[in-house]
Amino acid sequence: MIEIENLRKTYHMGTVEVKALDGVDLEIEKGEFLGIMGPSGSGKTTLLHMLGLLDLPTSGKIIIDGMDISLLTDYEKTMFRLYKLGYVFQDYALVPDLTVMENVSLPAMLRKDRTEDQYRNDTNDILQKIGLYDRRDHLPRELSGGQQQRVSLARAMVNKPDILFADEPCANLDTENSRIVLDLFREINESVHQTIVMVSHEDWHKDYFHRIVRLRDGKIVSDGINGSKAS
Amino acid sequence: MGKKELKVAFLLALRSLQRGGRSSVILTILIVGMCFTNMIFLPAMFNGIGQSITKQVVDYEVGNVLVSPQSGDQYVTDLGATLDLINGMPGVDRATPHYSKGATLKYRQRVLGVSVRAISPNDEKYVSPLYTKMIGGSYLGDGDTGEVIIGKPVAGDASIRQEDEFQPSLGGVRVGDSITIEYGNGYTKDYRVKGIYYTGWSQADSTVYVTWTDMEQVEGKPLDFADYITVKAKPGYSEKFIKDELQQYGVSQKVQTTSDLLSKSLGRALQSFAIINTVSLIVSIIITTVVLFIVITIKTLNSRKQIGILKAIGVDKEVIMHNYGFQVIILAVLGIILGIIIASMLAVYMAYHPIVTPEWSATLYITPMDLVINSLILFVAAIIAGYVPAWQVSREDIQTAMRA
Ligand SMILES: Nc1ncnc2c1ncn2[C@@H]1O[C@H](COP(=O)(O)OP(=O)(O)OP(=O)(O)O)[C@@H](O)[C@H]1O
Ligand SMILES: [Mg+2]
Repeated sequence: MIEIENLRKTYHMGTVEVKALDGVDLEIEKGEFLGIMGPSGSGKTTLLHMLGLLDLPTSGKIIIDGMDISLLTDYEKTMFRLYKLGYVFQDYALVPDLTVMENVSLPAMLRKDRTEDQYRNDTNDILQKIGLYDRRDHLPRELSGGQQQRVSLARAMVNKPDILFADEPCANLDTENSRIVLDLFREINESVHQTIVMVSHEDWHKDYFHRIVRLRDGKIVSDGINGSKAS
Repeated sequence: MGKKELKVAFLLALRSLQRGGRSSVILTILIVGMCFTNMIFLPAMFNGIGQSITKQVVDYEVGNVLVSPQSGDQYVTDLGATLDLINGMPGVDRATPHYSKGATLKYRQRVLGVSVRAISPNDEKYVSPLYTKMIGGSYLGDGDTGEVIIGKPVAGDASIRQEDEFQPSLGGVRVGDSITIEYGNGYTKDYRVKGIYYTGWSQADSTVYVTWTDMEQVEGKPLDFADYITVKAKPGYSEKFIKDELQQYGVSQKVQTTSDLLSKSLGRALQSFAIINTVSLIVSIIITTVVLFIVITIKTLNSRKQIGILKAIGVDKEVIMHNYGFQVIILAVLGIILGIIIASMLAVYMAYHPIVTPEWSATLYITPMDLVINSLILFVAAIIAGYVPAWQVSREDIQTAMRA
């Protein structure tokens, strides 16, 4: 599904060079729930942004579904993100002036292959699934952090993406809410065989991952099937 | 840019205005509305003054077309034949002569120099609304002799002392009083004041009118000549048409339309008006443009992170640009509507409370065309003001925007 070859990203801060990614090779299978872990500054977000077409690598190759994404134009990348990828951000990143319903349906409304009925149904279905259907007309600021993050997950899932990316989705949540959100990710992964790539540095999150890639200083230091994985 | 993208852009714009910062939305609309009013008001004011002066000149001075002596001549001669000729032409409602003579009015202790104007009262009715402006007594009749009608400022007010008067008067003449008129040629006669009128046009109000018959007595001979002839056109006939017709069919006098006459005297005033109008227009456009530019710039700067997120989830930059574009369009349209309402209310108010000066009175003169043109100008300015920052921010790359 995803192949990464010798991926490098170097930031220049004045005269200082920061190698955020320093030669990463990785393959991700369809249906995998992959955790990217590692200390702060190890390059987790950078890797996720490369995979999610949000930033350009300095060198190396990313191939998603057989497509070398460096060949895409700006507009094609936007459409690729809209049709094939879903994102959940650390700080929910909902549009504050849109209701829950409007936030979730926004990406679906833009798709040429969805009629109005379809995207309304999709939105309602996903809101039912995350248990916030009865809050659909509320604004994000009227919801708790955990609820907002569930809405953000619903927005990422409404277009049924090939790959779901999440960058520390529970960083702003307490343990209980983190569990609710992570359980949702797991449920989605199991029920529709959803490929998920999630960044985390909370050790207990690893229970949820099939496979864990650990980064340090922009390099992969370990990559393995999660033996201690629950269930 | 498809329909779906525009729909999403419009939804984002609408929600941002509805749910983000009510007060800034209202203030922005107010400013656009005020600028629109400002763009409309001064030109409409000047137009109103121009229109009102024109109307009063037509009503009380020259009619639609003025027939005056050829240069070198003192009078329009062969009056009877000339009047018959003009009155017989298609499109002419009525032609009527004026003949004025300098005179001194005497009433009790007061003495006042005026111009006495002889008219044919019945014909004059077709040309001038003077007969509808009587505030006391009645208008002249064709056969009247020894009767005069005078303007209110000439009659004066008995309760105002002479030294306090704004302009000299006879100090409170009332209908039925007798005044003495001593003409320049020495002829002196007592007249009964038949009526007092007030038109608001100072030239007319400081004149006194007698009948043609009376003036013939003053001159001691039939008056087959006049200072000039005023001609009223029938509705639907242009001044130009009448003028051309008169010249073509043998009126050997000088023929001028009211516009000909006014373009000379009012021309210079209108030029200064035009400068003031232009300045006020440019100032309004600049204020609107700057305000909308600032409003949209602040909005975009405050939402850079959100713009980054939207792009990350697959919203195209065009959608983001049009989101702000639509916001500015909505603000501008609402502002313009507000401006049209304010301007219309001012126009209605001023129709009932015109600006009155001793010389003339004026109301706002606004045509639908003025509203359309100014709306378009302001609309275009608003679009430019909104799309420039929207375009800039929509082009920012995702990483930079998301880190903002
Ligand atoms: N835009 C940038 N400009 C300069 N340096 C950057 C930029 N983005 C990231 N870096 C640097 O690249 C390195 C990796 O950053 P990254 O954000 O990927 O770390 P991370 O593993 O996600 O850390 P955290 O757990 O704190 O989120 C860090 O040293 C960071 O300072
Ligand atoms: Mg990070």
